[in-house]
Amino acid sequence: MIGQPVDRVDGRIKVTGAAPYAADTKIPGVAYGYLITSTIGKGSVTAMDTDAALASPGVLAVYTPFNPLKLFAYVQEQNDERFPPLQDREVRFFGQAIGFVVAETWEQARDAAGLVTATYQQQPPVTEFPGRTVRKFEEVEEVVGTQDLGDITFTASYTTPFQHHCAMEPHATVATWNGDHLTVYTVSQGALLVQRRLSETLGIDPAKIHVLSPHVGGGFGGKWGNWAQVPLACAAARALGRPVKAVLTREQVFAMAGHRPMTKQTLTMTCTADGKLTSIVNDGVTSRGLGGNWSESVANWTLTTYASPNIRVTKMIVPLNLGAATVMRAPGEANGSFALESAMDELAGQLGIDPVEMRLRNYATLVPNTGKPWSSKHLDECYRIGAEEFGWAKRPKKVRATVDGDWLVGTGMATATYGAGRGQASVKVRLHPDGTASVSGTAADLGTGQYTVFAILAADELGLPVSRVRPELGDSTSPAAANAGGSTSTGTNGPAVQLAAKAVQTELITLAVTNPRSPFHGKDPASVVYRDGSVSSGGVTMSFGTLLTTCDVGGVEAVGTSPRLVDPEHGYRSFGAHFCEVRVHRLTGEPRVTRWLSVCDAGTIVNAKAARSQIQGAVVMGIGQALLEATEVDHATGRFANANLASYLVPVHADIPKIDVRFLDRPDPLVSGLGAKGIGELGIVGVAGAIANAVHHATGVRVRDLPITLDKLL
Amino acid sequence: MRAFDYATASTVDDALKLARPGSAFLAGGTTLVDLMKLDVLTPDRVIDVNSLPLKGIRLHAGGLRIGALERMSDVAAHPVVRAVHPMISKALLLSASGQLRNMASIGGNLMQRTRCDYFRDVTSACNKRRPGSGCPALTGVNRGHAILGTSDSCVATHASDVAVAFVALGAQVVLRGKDGGRTVALEDFYLLPGSTPDRENVLGPGELIAEVVVPVLPWARHSTYLKIRDRQSYEFALTSVAAAVDVKRGVVQDVRLAAGGVGTKPWRLRAVEEALKGGVAVERTFADAAESAVDGARPLAHNAFKTSLLKRSIVRALLDAAGVR
Ligand SMILES: Cc1cc2nc3c(=O)[nH]c(=O)nc-3n(C[C@H](O)[C@H](O)[C@H](O)COP(=O)(O)OP(=O)(O)OC[C@H]3O[C@@H](n4cnc5c(N)ncnc54)[C@H](O)[C@@H]3O)c2cc1C
Ligand code: SF4
Repeated sequence: MIGQPVDRVDGRIKVTGAAPYAADTKIPGVAYGYLITSTIGKGSVTAMDTDAALASPGVLAVYTPFNPLKLFAYVQEQNDERFPPLQDREVRFFGQAIGFVVAETWEQARDAAGLVTATYQQQPPVTEFPGRTVRKFEEVEEVVGTQDLGDITFTASYTTPFQHHCAMEPHATVATWNGDHLTVYTVSQGALLVQRRLSETLGIDPAKIHVLSPHVGGGFGGKWGNWAQVPLACAAARALGRPVKAVLTREQVFAMAGHRPMTKQTLTMTCTADGKLTSIVNDGVTSRGLGGNWSESVANWTLTTYASPNIRVTKMIVPLNLGAATVMRAPGEANGSFALESAMDELAGQLGIDPVEMRLRNYATLVPNTGKPWSSKHLDECYRIGAEEFGWAKRPKKVRATVDGDWLVGTGMATATYGAGRGQASVKVRLHPDGTASVSGTAADLGTGQYTVFAILAADELGLPVSRVRPELGDSTSPAAANAGGSTSTGTNGPAVQLAAKAVQTELITLAVTNPRSPFHGKDPASVVYRDGSVSSGGVTMSFGTLLTTCDVGGVEAVGTSPRLVDPEHGYRSFGAHFCEVRVHRLTGEPRVTRWLSVCDAGTIVNAKAARSQIQGAVVMGIGQALLEATEVDHATGRFANANLASYLVPVHADIPKIDVRFLDRPDPLVSGLGAKGIGELGIVGVAGAIANAVHHATGVRVRDLPITLDKLL
Repeated sequence: MRAFDYATASTVDDALKLARPGSAFLAGGTTLVDLMKLDVLTPDRVIDVNSLPLKGIRLHAGGLRIGALERMSDVAAHPVVRAVHPMISKALLLSASGQLRNMASIGGNLMQRTRCDYFRDVTSACNKRRPGSGCPALTGVNRGHAILGTSDSCVATHASDVAVAFVALGAQVVLRGKDGGRTVALEDFYLLPGSTPDRENVLGPGELIAEVVVPVLPWARHSTYLKIRDRQSYEFALTSVAAAVDVKRGVVQDVRLAAGGVGTKPWRLRAVEEALKGGVAVERTFADAAESAVDGARPLAHNAFKTSLLKRSIVRALLDAAGVR
């Protein structure tokens, strides 16, 4: 079953609207919270007039820094807000939460929020990047060999703009208390991330916090952290003794719920005349929003991609008056790869070497920055298969060499690689008298297919059809499985599902031989076997459902725990290669992607269908990153100027060609028995570079600043 | 959104009677309700005009008449529209999305407000929304803004696509008010921002658009609507060009041209039209003529590319309309 194309087990309830998302939660007596946000980019709130709001119909409370809900300081770093909302009067960015209105209806809360006036002591916000406030080197990593530097030197700078996750589902939280027990329905990439954060800031025992996040309408990193609506809904519900629901508006999501930081990379590379790299220096600069702590280590992708005796990467941080920058699909690596993959193409062009050949000449058979072997790496095969299937050999060497009507046609390629590994996870499998099995863990399915991964692996191990396995995710009372981040869900949770499904068979056999009502009572457990949903011994076979019913037992269960992988001897990454064709109109310059092939080496593929769709989705997002997506800042106010889905452009169907995805499907022998590495983020890495390279091949114009819009090609 | 009264009318007279300062007519609601949700528009009364008899698409001696309440998708698909003025159909099909076009009316489309992001954000100053408060787009984010017809008060584009086609074809709008009706050329219906960008058109308080009348030009079947944008669909124009051209024996006899995405109102390109007449229909002629399109253009920090893009778009549209390769 593993590796077959399996339909999503949650597909039907999603397309029919039956899947309950956080904002769909219906609780009798719920009150509605609406956030008031700052309309300056830097300064402090000196006064707030809430009289009119409090007198407005249906209003239950108006919380502000002058009348706050008590929240304790955040301790744990979650790549999100540094400060709990409303606890101080400082304004760090435009759109920061400075108030929370709770009313009987959402409309009443919103109306009342419009009646609150804030007085500020205002300062000019700092939002220009790179600007003058660059901090000294934060991190430097170096590999220094002995080899002489070659004779060819190449240097260029590459920039990437602010971007936003734009998950379809906005951030929503519904909180309800029963005595001192809190139940929270919320968006999240991991129920435990919410539980820990709330325990901290509300000052209560995590055991008294039940978090439910069964379905998430896209996360991409934006729901890893807990943003202002989470603690405010919970604290207000406690103060008012009523359930409270809070949903961010799209503008609020843009302002306060995280963004991909702006980056600049200056690459200086030297190589020999035959294209062997002798040194790579990548000086990375990243923005950090003052609402948070996080920034991208954008240059670090350079540490692990190509062989070079000398590699140096640096990181500088530019703090800006913006909300928290946070992780966004392949943080650091999506942006990092744009620079290095463009530069490799530029250098190859300068030397007259084919871009694929250039990468093979600098193939890293060992991890470049540690010299250790890889757990497994078949990137060379990705290049070879990709080149062959794409027809790379027919590619003209010269730029601007292919014209089709009014369109200039070019092709480009790039390397993809993303970190892999395995964390600790526990998963429970339970067998039920009705013949079904449930498999549960705190893991999250953001649309990634994690439900189906749980179902497939448990079904495979138990010898049951997928339809008889019920995966249960996003519940903090389940065993602690991996949060959805860093492309490690399947690699981490998968082995735990397998262990639990094995362990439950032992439990079942124990029951079979010890329960007096069982036909196997008194037998030697070693003589009893479990196979395909049934127990048998000495010619007697009984399905586990019948056995449980016969024994009058409500179920047997077992928890499997797969430990964190600690292997200091190897480097772990997933790999891939992208090949694409781009067309640029000779008169009006718009770039359009017309052909795509990705070949991936990501270990064992558990569900061929969902895996393909993960890579396709990542390529779509990468096309957005390359050609469309940029959040603009109005520097006078510090406001994200295009904070809506009409002005912030994500790709539409018409922008996307057929995306062909191939998997090598070779198990990684060291990552786990399952052999699965990650695929969620791998697919976006290298996409922008491949497109930039194809645009250059089509037009002769090298664009080093994303996004590649038509004005840069006229 | 603020609380408001809701009223319906089934005759034009009733609708006009219900109208008062601070009221708004509701057709498809795709602009009005959006802007109400953002608090940009705060009518205290909303008058639903969807049952008014302002429907129908008819070919008369005077021209092609399109009722103001016809939906964008119905107009785009109408066989007469497609046969007589394909550029209208094309302009509509390149607008918004299928779902929006099913809701949105022609009258509402002509009355839609600018997509300037400062206009749509009530925390920002904006002379159009709050006269005298200033224009942050002049020095702020202005890649999408206008280069033609701008003033120191406002540089916002008019966002409609089909209005560009209508202006190219010399369409008129029939207005109905309490004191009767009047007919105005669509080009004159829209006002330049000058120092009063809050006044966008000549529509009086409580006046309605009843109909659009488009003259029939037999040769204008050779026409196109070209829309250039960053993504391939569901986006407003960076530049757009409505072009109809009459070429006989390789020579331009007559031509109609208007541009969108570049002007504070749909921009008829008369100087380019004049320069083209009598010229040989080849790319060189088109490119030379297109030069005058940007006379008087005032580019801003982020939209200077529009001067070049507009000229290139004109050439491309003319090549298309004239069938020249
Ligand atoms: C996401 C999005 C993308 C879009 N993309 C495009 C695009 O690419 N190109 C394009 O051209 N348009 C685009 N539009 C705009 C869309 O075409 C307009 O919103 C629509 O045409 C408005 O028509 P409506 O009937 O919904 O108007 P309503 O929202 O009902 O009304 C709009 C305004 O017109 C007034 N009004 C309505 N009817 C009359 C009348 N008969 N007489 C006088 N006043 C009247 C209303 O009072 C209101 O002020 C887009 C809109 C959205 C939301
Ligand atoms: S360009 Fe016009 S609409 Fe935009 S902010 Fe300036 S005045 Fe307002």
